[in-house]
Amino acid sequence: MDANMIISLHNVNFYYGPSRALNDISMDFPEKQVTALIGPSGCGKSTLLRLLNRMNDLIIGTRVEGKVLFEGKDIYDGHVDPVEIRRKIGMVFQKPNPFPKTIYNNIAYGPKLTGANAGDLDALVEQSLKQAVLWDEVKDVLNKSAMNLSGGQQQRLCIARALAMKPDVLLMDEPTSALDPISTAKIEELIEELKKNYTIIIVTHNMQQAARISDSTAFFYIGNLIEYNKTEKIFTNPDVKQTEDYITGRFG
Amino acid sequence: MNESINSSMKWRYFKQTLFFGIVRLSFLIIALALGGLLLYIVINGIGVINLDFITTMPTDSMTRGGIMPAIVGTIYLTVGAILIGLPLGVASAIYLTEYAVQGRMIRIIKIGINCLAGVPSVVFGLFGLGLFVVMLKFGSSILAGSLTLGFLILPTIIGAAEEALKAVPQTFREASLALGVSKWQTIFRIVLPNALPGILTGSILGVGRAAGETAPIMFTAAAFFTAKLPESIFGEVMALPYHIYVLATAGTHIEETRPMQFGTVLVLIAVVLGIDLLAIIIRSRMRRNKRW
Ligand SMILES: Nc1ncnc2c1ncn2[C@@H]1O[C@H](COP(=O)(O)OP(=O)(O)OP(=O)(O)O)[C@@H](O)[C@H]1O
Ligand SMILES: [Mg+2]
Repeated sequence: MDANMIISLHNVNFYYGPSRALNDISMDFPEKQVTALIGPSGCGKSTLLRLLNRMNDLIIGTRVEGKVLFEGKDIYDGHVDPVEIRRKIGMVFQKPNPFPKTIYNNIAYGPKLTGANAGDLDALVEQSLKQAVLWDEVKDVLNKSAMNLSGGQQQRLCIARALAMKPDVLLMDEPTSALDPISTAKIEELIEELKKNYTIIIVTHNMQQAARISDSTAFFYIGNLIEYNKTEKIFTNPDVKQTEDYITGRFG
Repeated sequence: MNESINSSMKWRYFKQTLFFGIVRLSFLIIALALGGLLLYIVINGIGVINLDFITTMPTDSMTRGGIMPAIVGTIYLTVGAILIGLPLGVASAIYLTEYAVQGRMIRIIKIGINCLAGVPSVVFGLFGLGLFVVMLKFGSSILAGSLTLGFLILPTIIGAAEEALKAVPQTFREASLALGVSKWQTIFRIVLPNALPGILTGSILGVGRAAGETAPIMFTAAAFFTAKLPESIFGEVMALPYHIYVLATAGTHIEETRPMQFGTVLVLIAVVLGIDLLAIIIRSRMRRNKRW
């Protein structure tokens, strides 16, 4: 691969207490591309995703072995502040989770509190909402509660909220699994657009979605990285039998 | 065949009627007891209630005149107790639910707090006397009384705050932390504002207790009689529950002041309801655009 690698994993093991959820994972994520993580339920996709912005730190008793490099630096190094990492590596969750605040304040919340990009908040809010293709729908109701938006709008708001922090990487954990087909299509279009400026790593159970939107695809099975390659290759001519079985729906 | 279905349905219907009957009856008994109590107090006390009663000083060795200083004193003490108990209780609850590593130690502390809620109030009174009045030399004063009452309602407030904090969805915390907002900012900007209505609801119980208790203030704040209102937090005050106690047990005019006693009880109930109402209004204001 010719692209610059923004995140690299070297022999990463991950433990929830005594039980190991990821086995010896080594992989690189190319900058400004979309990488899809696929695999049957419980194989460790979310675990891997949350490892990349140190969200797993919040779960008591978890442990990481190996190296997770972001722009060449190990994010699990003793003097790295996880809070700083999360500002550069944003996250969108499976279920839309806007704050019970106004639309405006949902976007402005992060920049205001972290002092990042706090220059012109109004402009930042507008820009973020435009990037998330939500501006036209909400520009007249910025001071209304975000809880009144539809599920799809809420998810785009959550994307806008993450973008307002101007991250380098956007992690998405099944961002469309709670949405209807039209909202899903909108988010997929949005991802296409965003990859011009952001590195996107997305977990999905939807094979068509992975095939449509990603440049590379990684297939996991019970904590192991089975196959990782260009999406085209994975979906037309996978090297491993297990991968083929999974994407053709023979198991999983 | 049809017969047996019919009879089993009848039996079920009978059981249901019986059960609802019992539930209705229990409710009725409680409503009657509460209503009866209120009615009894109102009938006996309403006669003495007038503007003078609530706005003037007592006269003639407290057999005539008003109870204004006791009303003011109770409001001072209750507000003082909230000012002390609320921040302290909320801070403790934040530590217990958000920061402390859950384990045996925390479980023991929580059991301890629950036990504290069941300690007789006179024990708090003696504790306040020993610590605030004597050791810290606050004397019998609004400060010592508020502190004592504040500690008395602490377990109630901690319990309410813990419940309210736990009710805030975990997804809010995750959303905030994932933006790179620090933990304490997440707690102060997201968790606490969303828990506040619940904290207030639970704390209302504590307010009633603080306003109505006699034993904790008997040694720490309450005066038999003061000629004027206190000038600072180091002054003694009269208080409604203690005033009732004094009128009903001490002196030679117990029978004569009966209507005043009931009137004072009525005022005490009104003060407690008033403070509760205030809390409810504040709560509904805060809830207005917080739905999830
Ligand atoms: N908080 C936790 N504590 C203990 N074990 C956990 C925890 N979260 C996940 N696991 C375990 O780690 C393994 C991987 O879980 P993970 O959530 O990463 O799977 P996933 O691939 O995201 O699955 P899904 O597709 O269902 O979301 C599973 O066996 C799961 O039971
Ligand atoms: Mg998952």
